[in-house]
Amino acid sequence: MRRGILAFGLFVGVMALVPAFVQNAFVLRIVTELFMWIVLAITWDVMAGYAGYLNFGHGAFFGAGAYVTAILMMRYGWPFFVTLPVAGLFAGVAAFLAGIPTLRLKGAYFAIATWALALAVQQLALVLDITGGPDGMRLPPFLDPVFFFYLILAVAVATFLLLWVLLEWAPFGLKLKSIREDESGAMALGLNPARIKVQAFILSAVPAGVLGGIYAFWITFIDPASVLADIITDQAMVMAVFGGLGTLLGPVIGAIIVFSFKTIFWAYLSDYQVLYLIILGGGIALTVVFLPNGIWGTIIGHIQGRNALHKGMSLNMPPGRSPVQGADVND
Amino acid sequence: MTEPILRVDGIVKTFGGLHAVNDVSFDVGKGMIVGLIGPNGAGKTTIFNVISGYYAPTRGKVFFKGSDISGLPPYKLAKMGIGRTFQVVKPFPGLSVLENVMVAALCKHPRKHDARQHAWEILEFTGLASRADDAAASLTLPGRKRLEISKALALEPELLLLDEVVAGLNPTEADRTIELILKLRDQGISILVVEHIMRVIMNISDQVVVLNFGQQIALGKPVEVARDPVVIEAYLGEEAA
Repeated sequence: MRRGILAFGLFVGVMALVPAFVQNAFVLRIVTELFMWIVLAITWDVMAGYAGYLNFGHGAFFGAGAYVTAILMMRYGWPFFVTLPVAGLFAGVAAFLAGIPTLRLKGAYFAIATWALALAVQQLALVLDITGGPDGMRLPPFLDPVFFFYLILAVAVATFLLLWVLLEWAPFGLKLKSIREDESGAMALGLNPARIKVQAFILSAVPAGVLGGIYAFWITFIDPASVLADIITDQAMVMAVFGGLGTLLGPVIGAIIVFSFKTIFWAYLSDYQVLYLIILGGGIALTVVFLPNGIWGTIIGHIQGRNALHKGMSLNMPPGRSPVQGADVND
Repeated sequence: MTEPILRVDGIVKTFGGLHAVNDVSFDVGKGMIVGLIGPNGAGKTTIFNVISGYYAPTRGKVFFKGSDISGLPPYKLAKMGIGRTFQVVKPFPGLSVLENVMVAALCKHPRKHDARQHAWEILEFTGLASRADDAAASLTLPGRKRLEISKALALEPELLLLDEVVAGLNPTEADRTIELILKLRDQGISILVVEHIMRVIMNISDQVVVLNFGQQIALGKPVEVARDPVVIEAYLGEEAA
Protein backbone atom coordinates (compact mmCIF):
# COMPACT_ATOMS: atom_id res chain seq x y z
CA MET A 1 0.00 0.00 0.00
CA ARG A 2 2.89 2.35 0.82
CA ARG A 3 4.25 1.87 -2.70
CA GLY A 4 0.81 2.64 -4.08
CA ILE A 5 0.59 5.91 -2.16
CA LEU A 6 4.10 6.82 -3.29
CA ALA A 7 3.26 6.10 -6.93
CA PHE A 8 0.03 8.06 -6.65
CA GLY A 9 1.79 11.05 -5.06
CA LEU A 10 4.51 10.94 -7.70
CA PHE A 11 1.98 10.80 -10.52
CA VAL A 12 -0.04 13.71 -9.15
CA GLY A 13 3.16 15.69 -8.52
CA VAL A 14 4.39 15.19 -12.07
CA MET A 15 0.97 16.09 -13.44
CA ALA A 16 0.85 19.24 -11.34
CA LEU A 17 4.07 20.35 -13.01
CA VAL A 18 2.78 19.83 -16.54
CA PRO A 19 1.61 23.45 -17.07
CA ALA A 20 5.05 24.70 -16.03
CA PHE A 21 6.70 22.81 -18.87
CA VAL A 22 3.97 22.58 -21.45
CA GLN A 23 3.17 25.95 -22.95
CA ASN A 24 1.39 24.45 -25.91
CA ALA A 25 -2.32 25.15 -25.33
CA PHE A 26 -3.33 22.19 -27.46
CA VAL A 27 -1.34 19.70 -25.41
CA LEU A 28 -2.57 21.19 -22.15
CA ARG A 29 -6.12 20.92 -23.35
CA ILE A 30 -5.61 17.28 -24.27
CA VAL A 31 -4.21 16.44 -20.84
CA THR A 32 -7.09 18.31 -19.16
CA GLU A 33 -9.60 16.39 -21.23
CA LEU A 34 -7.84 13.14 -20.34
CA PHE A 35 -8.46 13.80 -16.65
CA MET A 36 -12.09 14.48 -17.43
CA TRP A 37 -12.40 11.08 -19.07
CA ILE A 38 -10.62 9.40 -16.19
CA VAL A 39 -13.29 10.75 -13.82
CA LEU A 40 -16.11 9.63 -16.10
CA ALA A 41 -14.60 6.15 -16.52
CA ILE A 42 -13.91 5.50 -12.82
CA THR A 43 -17.31 6.78 -11.72
CA TRP A 44 -19.03 4.65 -14.37
CA ASP A 45 -17.09 1.67 -13.03
CA VAL A 46 -18.50 2.20 -9.53
CA MET A 47 -21.78 0.87 -10.85
CA ALA A 48 -20.49 -1.50 -13.53
CA GLY A 49 -17.48 -3.06 -11.84
CA TYR A 50 -18.32 -2.86 -8.17
CA ALA A 51 -22.12 -3.05 -8.13
CA GLY A 52 -22.58 -5.04 -11.36
CA TYR A 53 -24.96 -2.57 -12.96
CA LEU A 54 -24.38 -1.29 -16.49
CA ASN A 55 -25.44 2.34 -16.46
CA PHE A 56 -26.11 3.39 -20.03
CA GLY A 57 -27.13 6.87 -18.92
CA HIS A 58 -24.06 8.00 -17.01
CA GLY A 59 -23.51 10.90 -19.38
CA ALA A 60 -26.82 12.41 -18.28
CA PHE A 61 -25.32 13.22 -14.86
CA PHE A 62 -22.47 14.99 -16.60
CA GLY A 63 -24.85 16.87 -18.90
CA ALA A 64 -27.19 17.78 -16.06
CA GLY A 65 -24.26 19.23 -14.12
CA ALA A 66 -23.24 21.25 -17.17
CA TYR A 67 -26.74 22.69 -17.50
CA VAL A 68 -27.00 23.47 -13.77
CA THR A 69 -23.82 25.56 -13.91
CA ALA A 70 -24.83 27.23 -17.18
CA ILE A 71 -28.34 28.07 -15.96
CA LEU A 72 -27.24 29.35 -12.56
CA MET A 73 -24.50 31.49 -14.07
CA MET A 74 -26.40 32.87 -17.06
CA ARG A 75 -29.94 33.13 -15.77
CA TYR A 76 -29.34 33.88 -12.10
CA GLY A 77 -25.90 35.46 -12.15
CA TRP A 78 -24.30 33.05 -9.69
CA PRO A 79 -20.51 32.98 -9.47
CA PHE A 80 -18.96 29.94 -11.14
CA PHE A 81 -17.57 28.22 -8.05
CA VAL A 82 -20.85 28.41 -6.17
CA THR A 83 -22.61 26.56 -8.98
CA LEU A 84 -20.33 23.49 -8.72
CA PRO A 85 -21.65 22.08 -5.44
CA VAL A 86 -25.15 22.63 -6.78
CA ALA A 87 -24.27 20.76 -9.98
CA GLY A 88 -22.97 17.85 -7.91
CA LEU A 89 -25.96 17.93 -5.60
CA PHE A 90 -28.36 18.02 -8.54
CA ALA A 91 -26.70 14.96 -10.10
CA GLY A 92 -26.82 13.21 -6.72
CA VAL A 93 -30.52 13.90 -6.23
CA ALA A 94 -31.20 12.81 -9.80
CA ALA A 95 -29.35 9.54 -9.10
CA PHE A 96 -31.35 9.05 -5.92
CA LEU A 97 -34.68 9.57 -7.70
CA ALA A 98 -33.72 7.52 -10.77
CA GLY A 99 -32.03 4.83 -8.70
CA ILE A 100 -34.96 3.90 -6.48
CA PRO A 101 -37.07 2.46 -9.30
CA THR A 102 -34.35 1.42 -11.76
CA LEU A 103 -32.00 -0.35 -9.33
CA ARG A 104 -34.75 -2.88 -8.66
CA LEU A 105 -34.15 -4.04 -12.20
CA LYS A 106 -31.42 -6.44 -13.13
CA GLY A 107 -29.04 -6.93 -16.01
CA ALA A 108 -30.25 -5.72 -19.37
CA TYR A 109 -33.40 -4.21 -17.86
CA PHE A 110 -31.39 -1.70 -15.84
CA ALA A 111 -29.25 -0.89 -18.86
CA ILE A 112 -32.33 -0.19 -20.99
CA ALA A 113 -34.00 1.88 -18.26
CA THR A 114 -30.97 4.12 -17.76
CA TRP A 115 -30.47 4.49 -21.49
CA ALA A 116 -34.10 5.57 -21.85
CA LEU A 117 -33.89 7.99 -18.93
CA ALA A 118 -30.79 9.61 -20.42
CA LEU A 119 -32.64 10.02 -23.72
CA ALA A 120 -35.54 11.59 -21.84
CA VAL A 121 -33.17 14.08 -20.20
CA GLN A 122 -31.74 14.97 -23.59
CA GLN A 123 -35.23 15.49 -25.03
CA LEU A 124 -36.15 17.61 -22.02
CA ALA A 125 -33.16 19.87 -22.58
CA LEU A 126 -34.23 20.20 -26.22
CA VAL A 127 -37.75 21.44 -25.43
CA LEU A 128 -37.34 23.50 -22.26
CA ASP A 129 -36.91 27.28 -22.40
CA ILE A 130 -34.56 27.48 -19.46
CA THR A 131 -32.00 25.25 -21.19
CA GLY A 132 -32.20 27.21 -24.41
CA GLY A 133 -33.61 24.23 -26.30
CA PRO A 134 -31.65 23.03 -29.32
CA ASP A 135 -29.71 26.33 -29.45
CA GLY A 136 -27.96 25.47 -26.21
CA MET A 137 -26.34 28.00 -23.94
CA ARG A 138 -23.31 30.25 -24.21
CA LEU A 139 -21.24 31.04 -21.16
CA PRO A 140 -18.87 33.98 -20.65
CA PRO A 141 -15.49 33.00 -22.06
CA PHE A 142 -12.87 32.48 -19.42
CA LEU A 143 -9.84 31.56 -21.41
CA ASP A 144 -7.36 30.30 -18.87
CA PRO A 145 -6.30 26.77 -19.79
CA VAL A 146 -4.02 26.47 -16.74
CA PHE A 147 -6.93 27.28 -14.42
CA PHE A 148 -9.09 24.54 -15.95
CA PHE A 149 -6.19 22.11 -15.99
CA TYR A 150 -5.69 22.44 -12.25
CA LEU A 151 -9.40 22.47 -11.48
CA ILE A 152 -10.11 19.27 -13.38
CA LEU A 153 -6.93 17.66 -12.08
CA ALA A 154 -8.14 18.50 -8.55
CA VAL A 155 -11.55 16.95 -9.25
CA ALA A 156 -9.90 13.84 -10.67
CA VAL A 157 -7.57 13.45 -7.69
CA ALA A 158 -10.38 14.10 -5.20
CA THR A 159 -12.69 11.62 -6.96
CA PHE A 160 -10.02 8.95 -7.12
CA LEU A 161 -9.19 9.36 -3.42
CA LEU A 162 -12.86 9.39 -2.44
CA LEU A 163 -13.52 6.19 -4.38
CA TRP A 164 -10.38 4.57 -3.05
CA VAL A 165 -11.35 5.33 0.54
CA LEU A 166 -14.94 4.18 0.13
CA LEU A 167 -14.47 1.22 -2.21
CA GLU A 168 -11.07 -0.19 -1.27
CA TRP A 169 -10.36 0.96 2.27
CA ALA A 170 -13.77 1.18 3.93
CA PRO A 171 -16.13 -1.81 4.07
CA PHE A 172 -18.51 -0.19 1.56
CA GLY A 173 -16.71 -1.66 -1.46
CA LEU A 174 -16.86 -5.16 -0.07
CA LYS A 175 -20.58 -4.82 0.63
CA LEU A 176 -21.15 -3.53 -2.89
CA LYS A 177 -19.19 -6.41 -4.44
CA SER A 178 -21.11 -8.98 -2.42
CA ILE A 179 -24.35 -7.54 -3.78
CA ARG A 180 -22.88 -7.79 -7.28
CA GLU A 181 -22.04 -11.44 -6.66
CA ASP A 182 -25.34 -12.52 -5.10
CA GLU A 183 -27.95 -10.04 -4.05
CA SER A 184 -30.30 -12.31 -2.16
CA GLY A 185 -27.38 -14.02 -0.47
CA ALA A 186 -26.09 -10.63 0.67
CA MET A 187 -29.48 -9.85 2.16
CA ALA A 188 -29.19 -12.84 4.50
CA LEU A 189 -25.98 -11.32 5.84
CA GLY A 190 -27.52 -8.10 7.03
CA LEU A 191 -27.07 -5.96 3.89
CA ASN A 192 -29.89 -3.87 2.50
CA PRO A 193 -29.16 -4.06 -1.24
CA ALA A 194 -31.61 -1.36 -2.30
CA ARG A 195 -30.01 1.17 0.02
CA ILE A 196 -26.40 0.27 -0.76
CA LYS A 197 -27.01 0.34 -4.52
CA VAL A 198 -28.66 3.76 -4.36
CA GLN A 199 -25.72 5.04 -2.30
CA ALA A 200 -23.33 3.73 -4.93
CA PHE A 201 -25.40 5.31 -7.70
CA ILE A 202 -25.23 8.68 -5.95
CA LEU A 203 -21.50 8.22 -5.44
CA SER A 204 -21.03 7.65 -9.16
CA ALA A 205 -23.25 10.60 -10.14
CA VAL A 206 -21.95 13.46 -7.97
CA PRO A 207 -18.39 13.71 -9.41
CA ALA A 208 -19.82 13.49 -12.94
CA GLY A 209 -22.19 16.37 -12.16
CA VAL A 210 -19.40 18.59 -10.76
CA LEU A 211 -17.28 17.75 -13.77
CA GLY A 212 -20.11 18.70 -16.11
CA GLY A 213 -20.34 22.08 -14.43
CA ILE A 214 -16.64 22.72 -14.95
CA TYR A 215 -16.83 21.50 -18.54
CA ALA A 216 -19.60 23.99 -19.37
CA PHE A 217 -17.52 26.94 -18.16
CA TRP A 218 -14.39 25.57 -19.83
CA ILE A 219 -15.91 24.94 -23.25
CA THR A 220 -18.24 28.01 -22.96
CA PHE A 221 -20.94 26.50 -25.13
CA ILE A 222 -23.23 23.59 -24.36
CA ASP A 223 -26.19 22.10 -26.15
CA PRO A 224 -28.10 18.82 -25.87
CA ALA A 225 -26.17 17.32 -28.77
CA SER A 226 -22.84 17.81 -27.02
CA VAL A 227 -23.11 17.44 -23.23
CA LEU A 228 -26.06 15.05 -23.29
CA ALA A 229 -24.85 12.90 -26.20
CA ASP A 230 -24.82 9.17 -25.54
CA ILE A 231 -21.26 9.07 -26.91
CA ILE A 232 -20.12 10.39 -23.51
CA THR A 233 -21.42 7.31 -21.73
CA ASP A 234 -20.15 5.06 -24.52
CA GLN A 235 -16.61 6.45 -24.33
CA ALA A 236 -16.48 6.08 -20.55
CA MET A 237 -17.73 2.51 -20.86
CA VAL A 238 -15.17 1.61 -23.50
CA MET A 239 -12.38 3.01 -21.34
CA ALA A 240 -13.52 1.18 -18.22
CA VAL A 241 -14.04 -2.15 -20.01
CA PHE A 242 -10.72 -1.85 -21.81
CA GLY A 243 -8.86 -1.12 -18.60
CA GLY A 244 -10.70 -3.60 -16.41
CA LEU A 245 -13.92 -3.43 -14.43
CA GLY A 246 -14.11 -3.63 -10.69
CA THR A 247 -10.74 -2.04 -10.05
CA LEU A 248 -9.95 1.63 -9.55
CA LEU A 249 -6.80 1.66 -11.64
CA GLY A 250 -8.27 -0.29 -14.56
CA PRO A 251 -10.53 2.49 -15.85
CA VAL A 252 -7.73 5.03 -15.34
CA ILE A 253 -5.39 2.97 -17.50
CA GLY A 254 -8.18 2.34 -20.00
CA ALA A 255 -8.91 6.06 -20.20
CA ILE A 256 -5.25 6.89 -20.80
CA ILE A 257 -4.87 4.30 -23.56
CA VAL A 258 -8.16 4.89 -25.35
CA PHE A 259 -7.99 8.66 -25.11
CA SER A 260 -4.37 8.75 -26.27
CA PHE A 261 -5.25 6.54 -29.19
CA LYS A 262 -8.18 8.77 -30.07
CA THR A 263 -6.11 11.95 -29.83
CA ILE A 264 -3.24 10.62 -31.89
CA PHE A 265 -5.62 9.25 -34.45
CA TRP A 266 -7.52 12.52 -34.82
CA ALA A 267 -4.37 14.61 -34.82
CA TYR A 268 -2.36 12.65 -37.35
CA LEU A 269 -4.78 10.45 -39.23
CA SER A 270 -7.82 12.67 -39.47
CA ASP A 271 -8.19 11.74 -43.14
CA TYR A 272 -9.10 8.27 -42.00
CA GLN A 273 -11.68 9.30 -39.39
CA VAL A 274 -14.05 6.52 -40.38
CA LEU A 275 -11.43 4.01 -39.37
CA TYR A 276 -11.30 5.30 -35.77
CA LEU A 277 -14.59 3.81 -34.63
CA ILE A 278 -13.94 0.62 -36.57
CA ILE A 279 -10.56 0.09 -34.92
CA LEU A 280 -11.96 1.04 -31.52
CA GLY A 281 -14.93 -1.33 -31.92
CA GLY A 282 -12.62 -4.14 -33.03
CA GLY A 283 -10.31 -3.47 -30.11
CA ILE A 284 -13.15 -3.64 -27.64
CA ALA A 285 -14.51 -6.83 -29.13
CA LEU A 286 -11.07 -8.41 -28.89
CA THR A 287 -10.65 -7.19 -25.31
CA VAL A 288 -13.97 -8.63 -24.20
CA VAL A 289 -13.23 -11.97 -25.83
CA PHE A 290 -9.56 -12.42 -24.95
CA LEU A 291 -9.08 -10.22 -21.88
CA PRO A 292 -12.49 -10.22 -20.17
CA ASN A 293 -10.94 -8.64 -17.09
CA GLY A 294 -9.46 -5.81 -19.11
CA ILE A 295 -5.80 -4.89 -19.25
CA TRP A 296 -5.30 -4.07 -15.59
CA GLY A 297 -7.54 -6.89 -14.38
CA THR A 298 -5.42 -9.37 -16.35
CA ILE A 299 -2.18 -7.94 -14.98
CA ILE A 300 -3.24 -8.13 -11.33
CA GLY A 301 -4.71 -11.55 -12.01
CA HIS A 302 -1.24 -12.72 -12.97
CA ILE A 303 0.46 -10.93 -10.09
CA GLN A 304 -1.88 -12.34 -7.48
CA GLY A 305 -2.02 -15.71 -9.18
CA ARG A 306 -5.66 -16.18 -8.49
CA ASN A 307 -7.11 -15.82 -11.91
CA ALA A 308 -10.25 -17.62 -10.86
CA LEU A 309 -11.15 -14.72 -8.64
CA HIS A 310 -12.29 -12.32 -11.30
CA LYS A 311 -13.75 -14.71 -13.78
CA GLY A 312 -15.53 -11.96 -15.62
CA MET A 313 -18.32 -9.90 -14.19
CA SER A 314 -21.62 -11.56 -13.54
CA LEU A 315 -23.60 -9.05 -15.52
CA ASN A 316 -25.68 -11.43 -17.51
CA MET A 317 -29.00 -12.34 -16.06
CA PRO A 318 -29.44 -16.09 -15.92
CA PRO A 319 -32.28 -17.22 -18.16
CA GLY A 320 -35.64 -17.66 -16.53
CA ARG A 321 -34.90 -15.32 -13.65
CA SER A 322 -37.27 -12.53 -12.82
CA PRO A 323 -35.82 -9.10 -13.53
CA VAL A 324 -37.01 -7.90 -10.12
CA GLN A 325 -34.86 -8.46 -7.06
CA GLY A 326 -35.82 -10.85 -4.32
CA ALA A 327 -37.79 -13.07 -6.63
CA ASP A 328 -35.10 -15.67 -7.09
CA VAL A 329 -35.13 -17.35 -3.72
CA ASN A 330 -34.60 -21.02 -4.26
CA ASP A 331 -37.27 -23.44 -3.25
CA MET B 1 -40.71 -23.13 30.30
CA THR B 2 -38.95 -19.94 29.30
CA GLU B 3 -39.88 -18.07 26.16
CA PRO B 4 -38.75 -19.87 23.02
CA ILE B 5 -36.20 -18.24 20.72
CA LEU B 6 -38.43 -18.86 17.76
CA ARG B 7 -42.18 -19.36 17.67
CA VAL B 8 -43.86 -20.17 14.40
CA ASP B 9 -47.56 -19.65 14.83
CA GLY B 10 -50.07 -20.86 12.25
CA ILE B 11 -48.01 -19.97 9.17
CA VAL B 12 -49.83 -20.15 5.84
CA LYS B 13 -48.05 -19.31 2.62
CA THR B 14 -49.85 -19.47 -0.70
CA PHE B 15 -48.51 -18.91 -4.19
CA GLY B 16 -51.50 -18.06 -6.34
CA GLY B 17 -54.01 -20.68 -5.29
CA LEU B 18 -51.42 -23.19 -4.16
CA HIS B 19 -50.88 -23.71 -0.44
CA ALA B 20 -47.12 -24.22 -0.18
CA VAL B 21 -47.37 -24.21 3.58
CA ASN B 22 -50.63 -24.59 5.44
CA ASP B 23 -50.98 -23.86 9.15
CA VAL B 24 -47.59 -24.79 10.52
CA SER B 25 -46.82 -24.09 14.20
CA PHE B 26 -43.81 -25.04 16.32
CA ASP B 27 -41.31 -23.59 18.77
CA VAL B 28 -37.56 -23.66 18.90
CA GLY B 29 -36.40 -23.43 22.51
CA LYS B 30 -33.13 -21.89 23.57
CA GLY B 31 -30.17 -24.17 22.88
CA MET B 32 -32.34 -26.71 21.10
CA ILE B 33 -31.98 -28.37 17.75
CA VAL B 34 -35.27 -28.75 15.93
CA GLY B 35 -35.38 -30.83 12.78
CA LEU B 36 -37.74 -30.02 9.94
CA ILE B 37 -38.33 -32.95 7.64
CA GLY B 38 -40.65 -33.98 4.89
CA PRO B 39 -40.61 -35.37 1.36
CA ASN B 40 -39.66 -33.20 -1.64
CA GLY B 41 -41.97 -30.26 -2.06
CA ALA B 42 -43.33 -30.53 1.46
CA GLY B 43 -42.68 -26.82 2.04
CA LYS B 44 -39.53 -26.97 4.17
CA THR B 45 -37.63 -24.33 2.30
CA THR B 46 -40.77 -22.17 2.06
CA ILE B 47 -40.97 -22.21 5.86
CA PHE B 48 -37.31 -21.21 5.97
CA ASN B 49 -37.91 -18.36 3.58
CA VAL B 50 -40.84 -17.15 5.67
CA ILE B 51 -38.85 -17.27 8.92
CA SER B 52 -35.81 -15.56 7.41
CA GLY B 53 -37.88 -12.82 5.78
CA TYR B 54 -37.61 -13.77 2.11
CA TYR B 55 -41.35 -14.39 1.93
CA ALA B 56 -44.03 -12.60 3.92
CA PRO B 57 -46.47 -15.13 5.39
CA THR B 58 -49.97 -15.10 3.88
CA ARG B 59 -51.36 -15.73 7.37
CA GLY B 60 -49.85 -16.48 10.73
CA LYS B 61 -47.00 -14.94 12.66
CA VAL B 62 -43.35 -15.55 13.43
CA PHE B 63 -41.95 -14.47 16.80
CA PHE B 64 -38.26 -14.12 17.59
CA LYS B 65 -37.49 -13.84 21.30
CA GLY B 66 -41.06 -12.79 21.87
CA SER B 67 -41.32 -10.02 19.28
CA ASP B 68 -43.30 -10.28 16.08
CA ILE B 69 -40.93 -10.44 13.12
CA SER B 70 -43.38 -11.54 10.42
CA GLY B 71 -42.74 -9.73 7.17
CA LEU B 72 -39.50 -8.01 8.25
CA PRO B 73 -36.86 -8.00 5.48
CA PRO B 74 -33.99 -10.53 5.68
CA TYR B 75 -31.30 -7.95 6.40
CA LYS B 76 -33.12 -6.75 9.52
CA LEU B 77 -33.53 -10.29 10.78
CA ALA B 78 -29.85 -10.97 10.12
CA LYS B 79 -28.98 -7.99 12.30
CA MET B 80 -31.38 -9.18 15.02
CA GLY B 81 -29.56 -12.49 15.22
CA ILE B 82 -31.04 -14.92 12.72
CA GLY B 83 -28.48 -16.57 10.47
CA ARG B 84 -29.45 -18.84 7.60
CA THR B 85 -27.84 -20.97 4.95
CA PHE B 86 -29.24 -21.69 1.52
CA GLN B 87 -30.00 -25.11 0.12
CA VAL B 88 -28.70 -23.94 -3.23
CA VAL B 89 -25.55 -22.42 -1.82
CA LYS B 90 -24.96 -18.75 -2.44
CA PRO B 91 -21.27 -18.03 -2.22
CA PHE B 92 -19.95 -14.74 -3.58
CA PRO B 93 -17.88 -16.56 -6.21
CA GLY B 94 -15.64 -13.66 -7.22
CA LEU B 95 -14.65 -12.84 -3.64
CA SER B 96 -12.18 -14.77 -1.54
CA VAL B 97 -13.39 -17.17 1.13
CA LEU B 98 -12.24 -14.73 3.81
CA GLU B 99 -14.04 -11.82 2.13
CA ASN B 100 -17.21 -13.89 1.94
CA VAL B 101 -17.20 -14.34 5.69
CA MET B 102 -16.07 -10.76 6.30
CA VAL B 103 -19.21 -9.43 4.66
CA ALA B 104 -21.26 -11.23 7.28
CA ALA B 105 -18.89 -10.29 10.11
CA LEU B 106 -19.34 -6.61 9.23
CA CYS B 107 -22.84 -6.94 10.63
CA LYS B 108 -21.60 -7.03 14.22
CA HIS B 109 -18.12 -5.60 13.61
CA PRO B 110 -18.56 -2.51 11.44
CA ARG B 111 -14.81 -1.86 11.22
CA LYS B 112 -13.09 -3.80 8.47
CA HIS B 113 -10.12 -4.74 10.62
CA ASP B 114 -12.31 -6.24 13.35
CA ALA B 115 -14.47 -7.99 10.79
CA ARG B 116 -11.40 -9.57 9.19
CA GLN B 117 -10.17 -10.83 12.55
CA HIS B 118 -13.57 -12.25 13.44
CA ALA B 119 -13.88 -13.89 10.02
CA TRP B 120 -10.50 -15.59 10.59
CA GLU B 121 -11.70 -17.01 13.88
CA ILE B 122 -14.82 -18.38 12.23
CA LEU B 123 -12.81 -19.96 9.42
CA GLU B 124 -10.50 -21.61 11.91
CA PHE B 125 -13.51 -22.95 13.78
CA THR B 126 -15.17 -24.33 10.66
CA GLY B 127 -11.93 -25.64 9.17
CA LEU B 128 -11.75 -23.39 6.12
CA ALA B 129 -8.83 -21.25 7.26
CA SER B 130 -6.42 -22.92 4.84
CA ARG B 131 -8.63 -21.78 1.94
CA ALA B 132 -9.11 -18.22 3.20
CA ASP B 133 -7.41 -16.52 0.26
CA ASP B 134 -8.85 -18.72 -2.46
CA ALA B 135 -11.78 -17.59 -4.55
CA ALA B 136 -15.05 -18.93 -3.22
CA ALA B 137 -15.69 -20.18 -6.76
CA SER B 138 -12.79 -22.61 -6.37
CA LEU B 139 -14.39 -24.47 -3.45
CA THR B 140 -16.00 -27.85 -4.03
CA LEU B 141 -19.52 -28.56 -2.78
CA PRO B 142 -18.50 -29.62 0.75
CA GLY B 143 -16.38 -26.50 1.01
CA ARG B 144 -19.24 -24.33 -0.19
CA LYS B 145 -21.60 -25.81 2.35
CA ARG B 146 -19.03 -25.14 5.03
CA LEU B 147 -18.70 -21.59 3.74
CA GLU B 148 -22.48 -21.17 4.00
CA ILE B 149 -22.32 -22.15 7.66
CA SER B 150 -19.31 -19.92 8.25
CA LYS B 151 -21.12 -16.91 6.81
CA ALA B 152 -24.23 -17.54 8.89
CA LEU B 153 -22.05 -17.95 11.99
CA ALA B 154 -20.18 -14.72 11.34
CA LEU B 155 -23.45 -12.91 12.06
CA GLU B 156 -23.08 -14.23 15.63
CA PRO B 157 -26.65 -15.45 15.52
CA GLU B 158 -28.80 -16.69 18.36
CA LEU B 159 -30.84 -18.71 15.92
CA LEU B 160 -29.32 -20.62 13.03
CA LEU B 161 -31.41 -21.93 10.14
CA LEU B 162 -29.55 -24.68 8.30
CA ASP B 163 -31.05 -25.73 4.97
CA GLU B 164 -29.66 -29.11 3.88
CA VAL B 165 -26.07 -28.55 4.93
CA VAL B 166 -25.39 -32.28 5.11
CA ALA B 167 -27.09 -33.46 1.91
CA GLY B 168 -24.63 -34.24 -0.87
CA LEU B 169 -21.66 -34.77 1.45
CA ASN B 170 -19.81 -38.06 1.71
CA PRO B 171 -20.13 -39.90 5.07
CA THR B 172 -16.89 -38.53 6.53
CA GLU B 173 -17.75 -34.96 5.63
CA ALA B 174 -21.31 -35.45 6.84
CA ASP B 175 -20.02 -36.60 10.23
CA ARG B 176 -17.76 -33.57 10.47
CA THR B 177 -20.67 -31.26 9.72
CA ILE B 178 -22.87 -32.99 12.29
CA GLU B 179 -20.10 -32.61 14.83
CA LEU B 180 -19.95 -28.92 13.98
CA ILE B 181 -23.70 -28.51 14.42
CA LEU B 182 -23.57 -30.17 17.84
CA LYS B 183 -20.66 -27.95 18.85
CA LEU B 184 -22.69 -24.89 17.93
CA ARG B 185 -25.64 -26.15 19.95
CA ASP B 186 -23.31 -26.60 22.92
CA GLN B 187 -22.31 -22.96 22.54
CA GLY B 188 -25.93 -22.04 23.14
CA ILE B 189 -27.05 -21.36 19.57
CA SER B 190 -30.57 -22.54 18.81
CA ILE B 191 -30.78 -24.38 15.52
CA LEU B 192 -33.51 -25.24 13.07
CA VAL B 193 -32.33 -27.88 10.59
CA VAL B 194 -33.90 -28.93 7.33
CA GLU B 195 -32.54 -32.21 6.12
CA HIS B 196 -33.50 -35.09 3.88
CA ILE B 197 -31.28 -37.58 5.57
CA MET B 198 -33.24 -39.24 8.38
CA ARG B 199 -30.15 -40.55 10.15
CA VAL B 200 -28.94 -36.98 10.65
CA ILE B 201 -32.21 -35.55 11.86
CA MET B 202 -33.01 -38.41 14.18
CA ASN B 203 -29.56 -38.33 15.80
CA ILE B 204 -29.20 -34.65 16.52
CA SER B 205 -32.71 -33.20 16.94
CA ASP B 206 -34.42 -32.54 20.24
CA GLN B 207 -37.71 -32.07 18.44
CA VAL B 208 -38.83 -32.97 14.94
CA VAL B 209 -41.47 -31.27 12.81
CA VAL B 210 -42.77 -33.29 9.87
CA LEU B 211 -44.33 -31.62 6.84
CA ASN B 212 -46.14 -33.26 3.94
CA PHE B 213 -47.70 -31.31 1.07
CA GLY B 214 -47.43 -28.16 3.18
CA GLN B 215 -49.32 -29.67 6.11
CA GLN B 216 -47.75 -30.27 9.47
CA ILE B 217 -48.40 -33.95 10.10
CA ALA B 218 -46.32 -34.58 13.22
CA LEU B 219 -44.38 -32.80 15.96
CA GLY B 220 -42.47 -34.45 18.75
CA LYS B 221 -39.35 -36.24 19.89
CA PRO B 222 -37.47 -38.11 17.14
CA VAL B 223 -38.35 -41.58 18.47
CA GLU B 224 -42.05 -40.75 18.71
CA VAL B 225 -42.13 -39.26 15.26
CA ALA B 226 -40.31 -42.23 13.74
CA ARG B 227 -43.03 -44.55 15.06
CA ASP B 228 -45.90 -42.33 13.97
CA PRO B 229 -47.94 -44.22 11.33
CA VAL B 230 -48.88 -40.98 9.54
CA VAL B 231 -45.22 -40.12 9.11
CA ILE B 232 -44.33 -43.62 7.94
CA GLU B 233 -47.12 -43.46 5.41
CA ALA B 234 -45.98 -40.09 4.11
CA TYR B 235 -42.46 -41.37 3.62
CA LEU B 236 -43.04 -44.93 2.46
CA GLY B 237 -46.48 -44.76 0.88
CA GLU B 238 -49.71 -46.35 2.02
CA GLU B 239 -49.13 -49.92 0.95
CA ALA B 240 -45.75 -50.29 2.55
CA ALA B 241 -47.20 -49.00 5.79
